[in-house]
Amino acid sequence: MMNKKGAILGIVAISVIVVLAASVSSSPSETYDLDMTRTHGGISTAMGSPILGDPSAPITIVEFGDYQCHQCYNWFHNTKPMIMRDYIETGKANLVFVDFAFLGRDSPKASQATYCADDQGKYWEYHNFLYSSQESKIDSGWANSERLKAFAFSLGLDMELFNECLDSEKYSKRIQYNSQQARDNGVRGTPGFFIVGTDDQKQIAGAQPFSVFQRIMDSMV
Amino acid sequence: MLKTTKIVFQNLKFLFLSLVIFSSMMVTLLIISEYIFLEPYFVTHVPSGTEFGFSLITAISVLSALVIPMNLFRITNLKSSKQKMSGGIFGSIVGSVAGACSCGPIGFAVISTFGSVGATATAFLTNYETPLRIIAIVVLLITYFTTIKSLKTECRINL
Repeated sequence: MMNKKGAILGIVAISVIVVLAASVSSSPSETYDLDMTRTHGGISTAMGSPILGDPSAPITIVEFGDYQCHQCYNWFHNTKPMIMRDYIETGKANLVFVDFAFLGRDSPKASQATYCADDQGKYWEYHNFLYSSQESKIDSGWANSERLKAFAFSLGLDMELFNECLDSEKYSKRIQYNSQQARDNGVRGTPGFFIVGTDDQKQIAGAQPFSVFQRIMDSMV
Repeated sequence: MLKTTKIVFQNLKFLFLSLVIFSSMMVTLLIISEYIFLEPYFVTHVPSGTEFGFSLITAISVLSALVIPMNLFRITNLKSSKQKMSGGIFGSIVGSVAGACSCGPIGFAVISTFGSVGATATAFLTNYETPLRIIAIVVLLITYFTTIKSLKTECRINL
């Protein structure tokens, strides 16, 4: 009789623990599906963007950027298209974006929004949308929560999921981690790049022209 | 006007000073504004959409190189007051500082050191870079013309 009672109590206790564990693990601040061992050269890119291009490409471009940075905007529109055409689309290189959100109060929120879009498989679409929608003034409201939600709506994302993700600040620690990675690796402004080859890595500071990237990457291929 | 300017720059000391001011301001501002990169290779470029910013930097450097030596000429050779000099210095400083604190190393250093106050100042200087540079150019132009006028009077040049 006592054994039966004990077994029932045990089952109840285990059930409670399982339910609690399930509810904790499904809370918005905890659900990451990431490869925490992902590094490129000496940089941990585990919390960065999905890899753009062929993951097995011999060269990785690690870009540290802020969505409110004008020079990042210049690089995105002037240099990146040529890198995409000649290196990423040809499988010679891939690119990882790591957030260095330091410029204004809307910068971390904009970065968080990209990972909320990533939850629905649209990281790069959202990333590109932000850099295409950047306005000239920092913290002028172009990247506030309402506008970030409007961008998500324009991209056809599930708004209930997106709003819940953004409002809960699900990815705030991820952005802090990425910004710390920038500081730890000696990045002193945005955009900042590391070109990581099989044997070595080179740092590029600022929105430098395509010729500089070309020279470095051609020497690594 | 041209004759007055010539009088100042016929003196090689002031011509040399003007060249030093122009080249040092131009190069420094172009590096800060990311038109020139020194590492990993020396490279210059004017990205599409930034041509106007480049022309404002050129105008500030040229005007500073004119106004500052002309006022120094007034002060040293004619023992004039230093009042108009301040207009030239003010214009040069405002023109230089505007836009210097964007997302580059200077902006990062300011924000890291001064926190939210630094971020606000950086955002202001970045957001109003073009109007501030235009104001600086206007101040430098006014200073240039008032300097010419005062040199004409003080030197008793008959043009």
